[in-house]
Amino acid sequence: MIRVQDLKRIYVMGKVEVHALKGVTCKIDEGEFVAMMGPSGSGKSTLLHQLGLLDTPTEGKIMIDGVDVLSLSDHEKTVYRLTRLGYVFQEYAILPELTATENVCLPAMMRGEKKELYLKSSSDLLKTVGLGDRLHHLPQELSGGEQQRVAIARALINKPKILFADEPCANLDTKSSRQILELFKELNEELNQTIVMVTHEEWHKEYVDRVIYLKDGLIEKNY
Amino acid sequence: MLNNFKISFFLAYKSLRRGNIGTTILTVAIMSMIFVNLVFLPSIVSGIGEGMNVMLIDYTYSNIFIEPKKDNLYINNVDSIRKKVNSLPGVAGASAHYISGATFACEDKFVSGAIYSINPIDEVTVTKTHTGIIEGDYLSEADTDEILLGIDLAGKEGKEAEERDLGGVRVGDKITVTFRNGIIREYRVKGIFKTKSFVADGSAFITEKEMESVLGMENKASEILVKLNQRGTEEVFKKKFMELGISEDIKTWEDKAGGITGDIISSFSLITVISTVISLIMAVIVIFIIIYINTVNKRKQIGILKAVGIEKSIIIRSYVIQSLFYCFSGITIGSLLLYFLISYMIANPIDFPMGNVKPLVEQQLIIQSITGLIAVSLIAGFVPSWKTANENILKSIWG
Repeated sequence: MIRVQDLKRIYVMGKVEVHALKGVTCKIDEGEFVAMMGPSGSGKSTLLHQLGLLDTPTEGKIMIDGVDVLSLSDHEKTVYRLTRLGYVFQEYAILPELTATENVCLPAMMRGEKKELYLKSSSDLLKTVGLGDRLHHLPQELSGGEQQRVAIARALINKPKILFADEPCANLDTKSSRQILELFKELNEELNQTIVMVTHEEWHKEYVDRVIYLKDGLIEKNY
Repeated sequence: MLNNFKISFFLAYKSLRRGNIGTTILTVAIMSMIFVNLVFLPSIVSGIGEGMNVMLIDYTYSNIFIEPKKDNLYINNVDSIRKKVNSLPGVAGASAHYISGATFACEDKFVSGAIYSINPIDEVTVTKTHTGIIEGDYLSEADTDEILLGIDLAGKEGKEAEERDLGGVRVGDKITVTFRNGIIREYRVKGIFKTKSFVADGSAFITEKEMESVLGMENKASEILVKLNQRGTEEVFKKKFMELGISEDIKTWEDKAGGITGDIISSFSLITVISTVISLIMAVIVIFIIIYINTVNKRKQIGILKAVGIEKSIIIRSYVIQSLFYCFSGITIGSLLLYFLISYMIANPIDFPMGNVKPLVEQQLIIQSITGLIAVSLIAGFVPSWKTANENILKSIWG
């Protein structure tokens, strides 16, 4: 599904060049739940951002389902992100002025789906993530774990091929973290959802199929 | 495309409805004040110009001004001209004046100036001098030994006499008038008027009958003032008068006043233009700052929207819609404020030395101000959101 070849990402900060990725090659198959782990500054989030088309690598290739995604135009990348990819960020990145339902609906609205359909899908998804009684609550009325679950529901509304999660439990307590990870596991097992998750918590490994361990911008272990 | 517009409206609507109400109120208040500022000062300037024009029509030239042909001192066959002019529908009246240079003397004060003759009955159909009587009475047709004085010629009692007044003569006082032809007559002051027209207020009026006896002529005039029922039709009537065979020099009040009010108004117009430009620059800066801060505060949200696949154009449009909402709300509230302010000022005009000034709001000015504010709002809404929406997604989300 995902094929990465010799991926490099260099950030230029003034006169200093930071080599965040130094030539990563890896592959992730459909239906896999993969964790990217490693110490701070190892390049795990950078790699996720490149795979999720949120950033552009300096060198290398990324093929998703046989498509060279780096050759897509900005507009095509936007459409690709909308229709094929889903994201969960660490800081419950949902819009504060929209209710849980509206946050979840937004990507479906963007796809031009019919109102009845996206309202039903968002309601179903929010029920799936355990927020059936919080449909019309604003983010400020939800706990951190609940907000993260809204973000997961939003990421799933367009039935993405791949779900990217960047330290989704970073700001959650253990109980909420377990709920999120169990939800991911369920989605992976029941819907064959491909999930790529960045995490630094060792105990998260028990939920994933495989770990890609990065260090200093390179894959050190793949197990 | 329609769907994209719907999403832009959706995002803008939710942001306005659930966003910071204080920011919205502040922005709309500023926009409304800018709108008031854009319209108010120019309308005062227009009001001054209009006031001066009305003053010239009501007290000096009326709508159409007929004067002798070049090289002639007087208009001949005045009765015939008056008859022709009055025969036209749309003419409210015509009044012929003799004008003579004269020296007015009262006790040891003497002043040189112009003395006008009027037919009191004709004059009330043409000028409004009769409405300005502040002391005594207006002239009647048979008066021969009485005179009307403008306040600037009569002078004010108690006030130090100026070079061009008689030091505060009152109704009933006698003044001596020496006409240009050397004839000297004594008149009793019948009335004193105040019109705020500096030409009228510095003049003296006697009856036509009396002037003809002084000058030894009849059926002549130095000028004929013609009042029309409708302002703005002067050129049409000027042509009609010519077609009636009036061969004298026919001018509209604008022809006569062009040099006076035109210069003053163009000076004021320059001030208005400067004020308008400054107001618009202020509007750009203020709206830009508010929208910019608003957009910068929502940088993370813009990043999230882009990350989940919302197109940049939709995001930018949602901010432009918000900006236009501030603009139209500001214009609406500003219009209400202006309505009350202008209504108050029409009821209580500003007392200017040249007359009472009421603001004159011209349609063109309103259209210009609205167009200006919309353009400014479009720029102020577009630029910061475009700038932020074009940032790298990760930079927008994490700064």
